Amino acid sequence: MTQHFSWLVRLLCCIGALMALPLQPALAADAAEQATSQQFQPLNNAPVWREVRSGDAHYTTVKGVETGVLIQSGGQTWRALRNGPVMLYGGIAFCAMVILLAVFFKLKGPIMLSGAKTGRLIHRFNSLERASHWAMAISFCVLAVSGLVMLFGKHVLLPVFGYSLFATVAVVCKNVHNFIGPLFILSVVVFIVLFIKDNIWQSIDALWIRKAGGLLTGEHVPSHRFNFGEKTWFWLGVVGLSTIVGVSGLVLNFPNFEQGRWVMQTANIVHLIGSLLVMTLSLAHIYIGSIGMESALDGMKTGYVDETWAREHHELWYDEAMKTQPATQPAGGMPVTARV
Amino acid sequence: MARMKFICDAERCIECNGCVTACKNEHEVPWGVNRRRVVTINDGVPGERSMSVACMHCSDAPCMAVCPVDCFYRTDEGVVLHDKDLCIGCGYCFYACPFGAPQFPQAGAFGLRGKMDKCTFCAGGPEKNASEDEFRKYGRNRLAEGKLPLCAEVCSTKALLGGDADVLADIYRQRVTTRGKGADIWGWSTAYGKPDAPARQPDAGGKS
Repeated sequence: MTQHFSWLVRLLCCIGALMALPLQPALAADAAEQATSQQFQPLNNAPVWREVRSGDAHYTTVKGVETGVLIQSGGQTWRALRNGPVMLYGGIAFCAMVILLAVFFKLKGPIMLSGAKTGRLIHRFNSLERASHWAMAISFCVLAVSGLVMLFGKHVLLPVFGYSLFATVAVVCKNVHNFIGPLFILSVVVFIVLFIKDNIWQSIDALWIRKAGGLLTGEHVPSHRFNFGEKTWFWLGVVGLSTIVGVSGLVLNFPNFEQGRWVMQTANIVHLIGSLLVMTLSLAHIYIGSIGMESALDGMKTGYVDETWAREHHELWYDEAMKTQPATQPAGGMPVTARV
Repeated sequence: MARMKFICDAERCIECNGCVTACKNEHEVPWGVNRRRVVTINDGVPGERSMSVACMHCSDAPCMAVCPVDCFYRTDEGVVLHDKDLCIGCGYCFYACPFGAPQFPQAGAFGLRGKMDKCTFCAGGPEKNASEDEFRKYGRNRLAEGKLPLCAEVCSTKALLGGDADVLADIYRQRVTTRGKGADIWGWSTAYGKPDAPARQPDAGGKS
């Protein structure tokens, strides 16, 4: 019996020794210095006091996350970052975007179609694409609101609500945030798979960049299924920031794996910066997709867009759609099912 | 008004864990929660030192600063307490605390931690003094009974002292003068600020 398991014991010893290797030199050096100091300078226990503040784990009988660490200094850094620049600049950026969009709407109003709607509809998004978009959008908004409550609520809502009511709101927000989070990540993954093909950059995007999307001139710049603005939002907002926020969120969401405090502090700062950025940018996306542009919401709402909208906003995509299935139906007739 | 603090004299602590046990027993804290622990630096090496650590009731408490629901408050005696009815179990106080004082009954998936628990300096919580609710949530309120924290009271070598900071400092100064070594009071600069930068005065009672 012992014969059978001796190899296993030896293997485990080897693994144990290997895992201890990175710790060994540092600890040994400190301990050796301490032993020497005790011999030659018994009243000088400096090596011990250095260890107290080092953040290294030492011996304790109490089991738990980093219980062997006497003093950790990362918490102060985390606190200073979170309560300082992250909240300040994040809050300013979010509010500035709201004000900017309100001013833009007041000054320029929504981007209107130049021509009249023909009533002929072109299929733009199938039901799976719309489902993944709205699953992502709804969970995003729930996460954004609950996250903002947990970050800024203490300063904004607490004085209004009082302690008891605000704590109830906050605990609901926390649990909603923690359970909806993984669903958001799932919808992001599905969304990326569905939309990555049409978001790869094309040569025509250079034109969009040169004309700044026609945002200021009011000109309609031709593009394929998605213009460069939409592509940027896809790569930056969905693929980039949402992934970063999602991964850091997963780290924070599962303390059962007993991550150390440094991991949690870092994940929290990454999560905060990423989410504040993506929330700020999302305001612009929500604006242009709803009140900021005539008929912009139709595609995602019904799956179909008007022929005029398609021609003005996505001319090349419209041309391809027409080639696949020309819009032969009369005005107000059946929708054209062409989709590229 | 006294300013309550803990001192752990590293020259005296013998790592008996009496404070840990006394605390657990006095307050009947749940399994897995330890309001106090003893850490031994370089265990087994000549010059090893043991130190008992719990909430130090900091002057500028990081837990209080990061709590999203502002459930912490400071008593007139500088003791940092919290309201478990408000706590949402986010774990932020644990990330911020330099001493690892905040404890959670669970570490569940989806951030389900339960209500935070920590050393109260044997001063209970916001409930009525010596009430059943107070005991169930925060343990015994010895300060209200005119007693000092039990961990320090039971310490067999009087390494751990808890009470008015001025009195503690006098005792410690006398010890250092007598023994001619071990002048360092570990944790005080972290908890109460450096001597050249005077600690912020505790806010006057109630929620802060």
